[in-house]
Amino acid sequence: MIPSDHFVRFYNEVFKFLDARNGLEDYYLEISRHQEHHCLKHFMEKGLQGMEEYWGQIRVEENCIMSSEVVGDVRYSHMKKCPSLSKVLDNDAEPCEKYCLHCPGWVAPLMTKCGFYYIKYLRALDVPECGSVFSDNLEKISAIRQNLKRDGFKYIFDNFDQREEVEVNKQERLKV
Amino acid sequence: MLRYQENNQLHRDFHGTTNTTLDYIADNYGVDALKSILQDTGEKVYKSIHDKLAAGDASELLEHLNWFYFREGAKYQLTVEPDEIKLEVFECPAIRHLKKMGLPVSKHACLQTSEVNAGMCKNTQWESSVEVIGEGHCIQTFRKKEC
Amino acid sequence: MIPSDHFVRFYNEVFKFLDRNDGLEKYYLEISRHQEHHCLDLFSRKGIAGMREYWNVIAREENIISKSKKKGIVTNTKMISSDSHICPSLTKNLDNDAGVCEKYCLHCPGWVIPIFTKTGFYCVYDLINLLEPTCSMNVFAIREEAEEFKQQRIAGGADPALIYDNLDKADEIEANKIRLAPLRAQEAAKAEN
Repeated sequence: MIPSDHFVRFYNEVFKFLDARNGLEDYYLEISRHQEHHCLKHFMEKGLQGMEEYWGQIRVEENCIMSSEVVGDVRYSHMKKCPSLSKVLDNDAEPCEKYCLHCPGWVAPLMTKCGFYYIKYLRALDVPECGSVFSDNLEKISAIRQNLKRDGFKYIFDNFDQREEVEVNKQERLKV
Repeated sequence: MLRYQENNQLHRDFHGTTNTTLDYIADNYGVDALKSILQDTGEKVYKSIHDKLAAGDASELLEHLNWFYFREGAKYQLTVEPDEIKLEVFECPAIRHLKKMGLPVSKHACLQTSEVNAGMCKNTQWESSVEVIGEGHCIQTFRKKEC
Repeated sequence: MIPSDHFVRFYNEVFKFLDRNDGLEKYYLEISRHQEHHCLDLFSRKGIAGMREYWNVIAREENIISKSKKKGIVTNTKMISSDSHICPSLTKNLDNDAGVCEKYCLHCPGWVIPIFTKTGFYCVYDLINLLEPTCSMNVFAIREEAEEFKQQRIAGGADPALIYDNLDKADEIEANKIRLAPLRAQEAAKAEN
C-alpha cells in the first residue's frame, strides 16, 4: 500500500513518466473522470455551495492553508499553502516541473460538465500558492480573467473555450 | 527517524486516485511501465529508507511500516528478526477505503506494495516479497540476502 | 502652524536632521505607513487604475507642471511617467533660503516603493538628477517588463545610482499579488455589473 500521506509523491513520479511520453493531458482527463465520483452530483445539485462543502472537507483532510468565499454568483479561492506541491518539493525524488498543471487539468473538465466557468491562476510552478475563480456568469468571470492578466499572472488556465458545452450543462444543472 | 513526517489530518480518498492511476498506466503503457514507476517511487521517493537499507540499517523501514499501517487504521502484525522483517496485513486500509467508496479494486492494487518495496531494496543486501493471502490480506517480507 | 504651502521646506529641514542622524530610511518607512492611509486600499483594489486616480488628484492639488505635451504611458499593466513634469516639491526647496537637502528627492521612492511592494507591483524609479525637479516613476504589473525597462533606461544613459526599484522584492510582490487577486477580481466583477 502507498500510504495516502505519500500519494502525491507517487503522483509526481507518474507525472514525470507521462510527461516524458506526452501523456499528461489524457491522464488529467482520467483523473477528472475519477473525481466525478466525488464531485459531479454534489456540484450539479448544490453549485458553488457544493464546491464550498467539497473543498472545505479537502482543506481539513489535506491540511491546506486556504481561504474561500462565495460572493454572489462567483466563488473565489486562495490556496495560501498547497500541501500537495509542498510535499512534492519536500521530496528526495525530483519534483515534476509541471506538477501544478494537474489541478486545472482535472478541475476544468469537471467544471465544464457542471456548467461553470473556471479560472486557475498561479504565481509560479514551484511556489505552493495559487488562486481559483468559479462562476456561471461569463461576463463577470471574463472581466476577472482580464484583471488577472493585467496583474501579470503568467499562468492562467480556464475552460472558456468550452463555452457552448458550459452553457448547455448550466441549463441542465439549473433543471436539477 | 522518518524522512517524511506525517502526523496531521489524513485524506484517504488518495487511495482512490492511486487505484485509478494504477489502471490508467497499466492500460495505456503496460504493466512493466507501471512496475517501473512504482519501483522508482520506492527507490527515489523513499531514498532515505533505501540508502539506509543499503548501509545495513533497517530502522526507517521498520518505522515506516509500523507508522503508516497504524496511522491508516490497519490490523497488522509486525515480526522482526535480525535477518527478516515480516508484516502481515489482515485488512489493507487502501482496499477497505476503495470498497467504502464503492470503487472497483484495481487488479494491480497489490503492485503498489510489491514494487515499492522492491524499489526500496534495489541494489541493497535486502530483498522483498509479497504473498497475497486473500483480498486485503497479505504478508510482506523483507529478507537479508545470503552472502 | 506651518502653512501647508511651506510643508516641503519643513520636510527639507527634517531630512537634513535625519540624515545627520542616519535616520532617513526609518523615516521614509514611517511616511510610507502614513501614506498607506491614502493609497493602500485604492491600489490594492484597483491596481494601476487606482494609482492613476491617486496621482491625477496629486497632479492637480500639488500643481505639477507639464514641461511639454508629451504624456506618460498608462496601460492596464504599466504606468510610465514621461519625465516631462516639473516637481513642485523640489522646486520649492531649490527656492529656499535654508538650502536644499541633497537627499531631498530620495523620500519619494522611499515611501512609494514599499506601497507598490505591498500591493503587488514592481517600480523602477529614476531620480535623474538630485538637483533637477524632474524624475520618472514607472510601475509595472509584470516583473520582466520592469527589468527590461530598467536596463533600457541605463542603456539610454541613466545613472544606475539614481535608480531605485523593488526588483529584489519579487517574491514578496508576487505573494501580495496573489493575495490581492480575489479582491481585485471582485472589483472587476463589480465594475462589470
